[in-house]
Formats: sequence, C-alpha cells, structure tokens
Amino acid sequence: MNKLHPRIRIVWVLRAIVIGLVVGAVGVGLATVLEASPFVPAGFAGVLIVLGVIHAILRYRNWRYIVGEDAIYLERGVLTEIRTEVPLVRIQHVDSRRSAFERLVGLASTVVYTAGSRGADVMIPGLTPENADGLRKRLKTLVIDTDGEDAV
Amino acid sequence: MKLAPASIPYRAFQKATSLGITLVFIASIGAGIRIGSPTFLLLAAGILVATVVYEIAYYKRFAYELTDDTFDIRSGVFSRREREIPYGRIQNVDISRNVLERLVGLSAVNIETAGGGSTEAVIQYVSAFEGKRLQQDIRRYKHGKSTDPEGAAGEQSDRRADEEVLFEIAPSELALSGILSFDPRVPGLILAVATGSIPFISPIVPVDAPPLVLLALFTVLLVGGVLLAWIVGAISAVVNYWGFRLTRSNDELRYERGLLQRYSGTIPFDKIQAMTIKDNPLKRRAGYATLAVETAGYAPGQASGRGSEAAVPIASLERVEQLADEIAPYEQPTFKQPPKRIRRRYLARYLIALGAVTAVLYGLAAWFATTASVPWYLPVIAALATPIAAHYKWVHRGYSLGDDHLLTRNGFWSRETKLVAYYRIQTVIDTRTIFQRRWSVATVIADTAGSLSLLGTDAAAVDIDQRDAERLRTELADRLRTALADRRRQRAGGFEWLDEDGSEDESPAELVDSQTADRPAPDERNGDATVDDVSTGERADGRAAADHRAENADGEHGDTEQQNTEHANNEQEADNEPDQKNTNQERVNQERDDQERRGTQSDDQERSDGRDSGRDDGPESAN
Repeated sequence: MNKLHPRIRIVWVLRAIVIGLVVGAVGVGLATVLEASPFVPAGFAGVLIVLGVIHAILRYRNWRYIVGEDAIYLERGVLTEIRTEVPLVRIQHVDSRRSAFERLVGLASTVVYTAGSRGADVMIPGLTPENADGLRKRLKTLVIDTDGEDAV
Repeated sequence: MKLAPASIPYRAFQKATSLGITLVFIASIGAGIRIGSPTFLLLAAGILVATVVYEIAYYKRFAYELTDDTFDIRSGVFSRREREIPYGRIQNVDISRNVLERLVGLSAVNIETAGGGSTEAVIQYVSAFEGKRLQQDIRRYKHGKSTDPEGAAGEQSDRRADEEVLFEIAPSELALSGILSFDPRVPGLILAVATGSIPFISPIVPVDAPPLVLLALFTVLLVGGVLLAWIVGAISAVVNYWGFRLTRSNDELRYERGLLQRYSGTIPFDKIQAMTIKDNPLKRRAGYATLAVETAGYAPGQASGRGSEAAVPIASLERVEQLADEIAPYEQPTFKQPPKRIRRRYLARYLIALGAVTAVLYGLAAWFATTASVPWYLPVIAALATPIAAHYKWVHRGYSLGDDHLLTRNGFWSRETKLVAYYRIQTVIDTRTIFQRRWSVATVIADTAGSLSLLGTDAAAVDIDQRDAERLRTELADRLRTALADRRRQRAGGFEWLDEDGSEDESPAELVDSQTADRPAPDERNGDATVDDVSTGERADGRAAADHRAENADGEHGDTEQQNTEHANNEQEADNEPDQKNTNQERVNQERDDQERRGTQSDDQERSDGRDSGRDDGPESAN
C-alpha cells in the first residue's frame, strides 16, 4: 500500500499552526477587551498547536491507500480509524485540487466523488501534482471502462 | 407548455399574504408607518400590484416541455434559467396539494434527481389533471416511449387495471399509528423550553413549600409533557398518513397520502436504494411495524424530519415483511450479533449518561433551591434498568448476509432493520473509534445513495469483532462486484433469451463461463494480498453462490416470460422495447470485448499492484 508524500506533514502542521494562531489571536483580543489575563487564551492556543502538530504526524503515519484493479482502498484516522473501500464502478467524477498550502510545498490532492451520502469524503491528499494528475487520468479510464449505468 | 392560468392569482395571493404580514409586522413595531394610514394603504396596494405583475411575468416566462430524452424547463423573470433534465436521471416525480390548492384544482409537481439535497425542478402550479399527466408521461418517456395524446386516457384506465394495491391503510391502523407514534422530539423541546424558563419560573414556584408538593408539581409537569408529546405525535401521524395508499404497477410503486396536504408520488423499483423496517417495544408487543422505502432522490418532507414518505406507517409485522419481500425478495435473515463483551460497554455508556444527567440536575438544584428539597437523585433509579437496556441493545444489534441483501439491525428502544441490496452499495466504510479499539470491535457501514443516509442512518453493522469487520468489508465489496456483474449479465442476457427460445440454457452458461474466465483478478489478488485463508475460502463460496444465483435467475426468466409480474424490473425494459433487441445484442458483444480488453490490461496492472499490496499488506494482516 502507498503512503502519502512526507511533505504533506508540513501542510498539516502549517494548517494546525494557523488555526492555533487565529484562535489565539481572537482569544487574546477578547481578553484585552474584557481586561482579563491574556495568558489563558495564549496558553490554550499553544496547547492547540501542540495537539495539532501531534495529530498531523500521527495522521501521516496512519494514512495508507491503494488503487486496486476494481476498488480504491483507504486507511486513515487518528482517534477514529477509518477504512474505506470505494468500488471503481461507483465513481461519479474525480477532481484533482491544490490548496494554497499544498501549492506552497508542491503537492496536490485527488478527490473521488460517489453518489453515496458520504461520497465527498474520499480524498487522497499528499500526492505530487504529477501523481495526482496521473491518478485522476487512470481512474478516469478505469471508470469509463466500467458500466456507467451502475453508478447510482 | 405553460402553467395553469389559475396559478397566477394563487401565487400572487401567496406572495402578497407573506409580504403583507411582513408589512404589518414592520408597521406594528412602529417604523414610522401606522396601520391604516395613507402610506400604509399605498404600500399595501403597491405590494399587491407588484406581486400580480410579477406573477403574470412569471407565468409568461415559465415553460416546460417533454422532449424525446430530456425534460426542459425555462423560467425566470429577472434572471432566466433553462434546465434540461435527462429522463434517466429522474428519481421520482411527486405531486403535492394542500387544502387550498385542492379547492382551486392546482397541483405542485416536484421532480427529484439523485444527489444534492434539494429538489431539481419545482413546477408551481399546474392543474390537477396536468400534474397526473406529467407524472405518467415522464414515466413513459423514461422507458423510451413517446406519448400519443389520444391514447393517454385509454392508457390511464389500462394502468389502473394492472395497478395492484399493495397497501391501503385501514382506519384502525391509522388510529393505531397515531396512538403508537410517540414523538420523542417534543419532550426534548419542552425540556429545553423549561430549562430556559427556569429563571422566570423560579420566583413563582414556592421554593419553601414542602418537598412533597414540589415532587407533585414535578410529576405533573413530566406527565403533562409526555402526554403533549403523545398527542402531537398522534395528530401529525394521522394528518400525514390520512388515506395512505400504496400501489404497484409493473415497474414502480405509487403512493398517496395526507389530510391537509395531499402527496402522491412514484418510486421506480430500480431506484429503490434501501428499505427500513422499524418498530419499538410498543409496536412489537402489538405485532406491528413500520416500513420505509428510500430512493436516491431527496425525500419530500425530509426537512420536517419525517424521513422517507413512501413509508407504510403501520401494519402487522407479517404484512410489512410480506410487503418488503414483494418489493425486494429477500430470505429470512439470521442475524450475527456483536461479541457479548460489548454489553459491558453499553452498560458503562448508559451509566455515564445517567451520571451526567444526575450531575446536571444536582447542579440546577443546588443553584436554584436547596439540594434537600428537590429530588435530583431521581435518575439514579433508572440505573436499575440500564443492564436490561444494555442487554437489549446487544440483542437487537446484528447483521446478516443474505443472498442478495445485507441486513443490519440496531437500536435498543426503536429497532431498525435495514435492507440493502448488494448492488446498491456505494462505498464500504469500516471505522474504529479509540473506544472501539479498546474492545477490539469495529463498525462497518454500507453507504448507499439513499436520502435518509444524510441523517446518519446508513446500514451499519455496529460493534462487531474486528476480524469479522475485516471479513465483512471485503465480502461486501466482493458481493457488490458479483452482484453488479450479475445484473449486467441479466440486463444483457435477458434479451438474448427472448431471442432464441430453443437454446435458452446455453447462452447464460456461456456467459457465466466467460465472466469468470475474464475475471482472474480477484483470485490473484487474494493470493498476493495475504488476507487470511478464511476469507479466501469465503470468497470462493461467494463465487459459487453467485453462479448458483445466475442459474436461478435463468429459471426466473422462463417464468417471467409467461407471467410478466414478479421482480420484472430489468426484464421490463425488454418487454417495452422489443425493437431495441438488436442494440442490446450489440451491447452484449461490446461488453464482452470490453471485458477481454480489460482482462489483458488488468493482467499487467495486477502484476505491479499485486507486488505492491503483497509487500505492504504484511503489517496490516499482522494486526
């Protein structure tokens, strides 16, 4: 099974830090307005960042995927482990996308949509742009091969 | 085609009323306009004229058309919109009429497609007759038939004739459904309101009254709340299911229901995603149950939280099971339960919840009164019942792998049995929360495109042993594949058998062979992927079962040719379109070619993938 690109950790860590900083800024701002001690929200934000970083690392460690002959199989999750099996016949469409952070470190994600109620859940992050495009194209050909009538 | 002319005054009336209410509201909060003043009257008149003009323009702009392969709608006064909906994508067509609309003879037609939380097209309003005609014509177009205006009436009476009434609610059943439908959301709402109003009530309540009086007050409130919830539930059930009628014609279900607002709709059999049989101890005691049918479309009225509307509100369990069996033949399930150890987990969970409630009550009591006077410790008594609840939660929980369906059952009080055909499964998800891992159990969810799934009620085998979960996951994915292949073969094969009457037996066998021969991949993968032996064995069994099913299907085809009634979803097409046999034949051929091509292609792919999975699956199987 494939692992994600190691650089995805940078994206996730950055994201955690940004969220922590925003929360911290809002908290400190509120504290100064209310004339309370700014150390409580600052400390909270610090804890948030530490947890976020740990989460990002564990998340990377637990992420695995494989694109098989007739299904995509994903394994991920830190607190809740999720294993998803997406039969290729069920794929409605495939996106590759790049968020700002991902562009920063030169990575991309592939998102697979099914008609299922949790369809948009299936996202494979941490691919190199070439890999993401390749995966998208490969899935496309596989999906076209299978019978379109079975999609719903 | 245009809307009904009567829709102009009706829509204008609707709009003007809501705008008028807003105006009165604004006036009443004193925004410079007094009710009855000249400006007020001027504004009201302006609103009236504006809405009428707008509605006339809306009427002029709105046009819909049934073309050969799409349903087209052009609409919009300020921003124009043209929409084409392919017939094949339409999940269901619903008609709703409230009291007023029935009085003036109008219907609103809603067209639902799969995906998305909203209705694809809303046609407000057409005449009642036109609504019915639209419903039928769309159905007919979906099957590739054109309409002839004069034949429509004749066909309608024909259709009535071959329409078979599956279920018609009896007054006693309606009454019973009212009595038994206790709406649990209402006590919650009351509780929320009550806790919110405590600061206002507390000065009135004689806090220094003897505890006995307080207790009595408390009990009266509680009983009152429960009674109210009951009455509300009963009324809403009766209003919703007044005159409920479920019929089936060859390839679809039709339902009608509603007292104040009349709903009717169709559900094509091949759009049904899942079925749910629901009951609770009260209903079970009386031997009754509820049946709900899910499609991939947005269920009308889902916003009101009542879920799929094509539900049989209540019927004897026997009848419900018979109905479900008629809609999708399934075999008597044997549920496999989660491991017994899990009961302790449920017990702990209930106790923790009770503890939390008690703590909150204690906190409130300490805050508003003296802890001595309020019986905050009452919930603790309920702790005595928790072992029973935990036990029943475990008893009810389970899953069953049938020939064609996955059945799951959940719920300690309100028990739900979900029935999902393998070929309807979209994705298979296996989750383990941090708590579940401690007990080494997992939840396997079979996600479908059903609309109720949005509420988180997918078919789920909850808290089964992790090894079982692993097996169930691969098994479901595998069965999905074989079921799809079966269906495809049926679709393709069904036409062939109609062609060559004499050699019926040969072609399916040949197809089965080619199918299995062309699909070497899963076996190879099993070998490489080092999943444990048990599952490989099971898979082989599954294959055998699938072949067996194919043979059965063969027999069925023979029957359906004469009877043309039972589970004729797919074969129906064949009957409807005799002139398309040739194209279907072509499709079969093409499909074989495809399979061959894929076979060779996948060989190469398999080699690389197989190596990959062989290496990396090692640690996983060690888990």
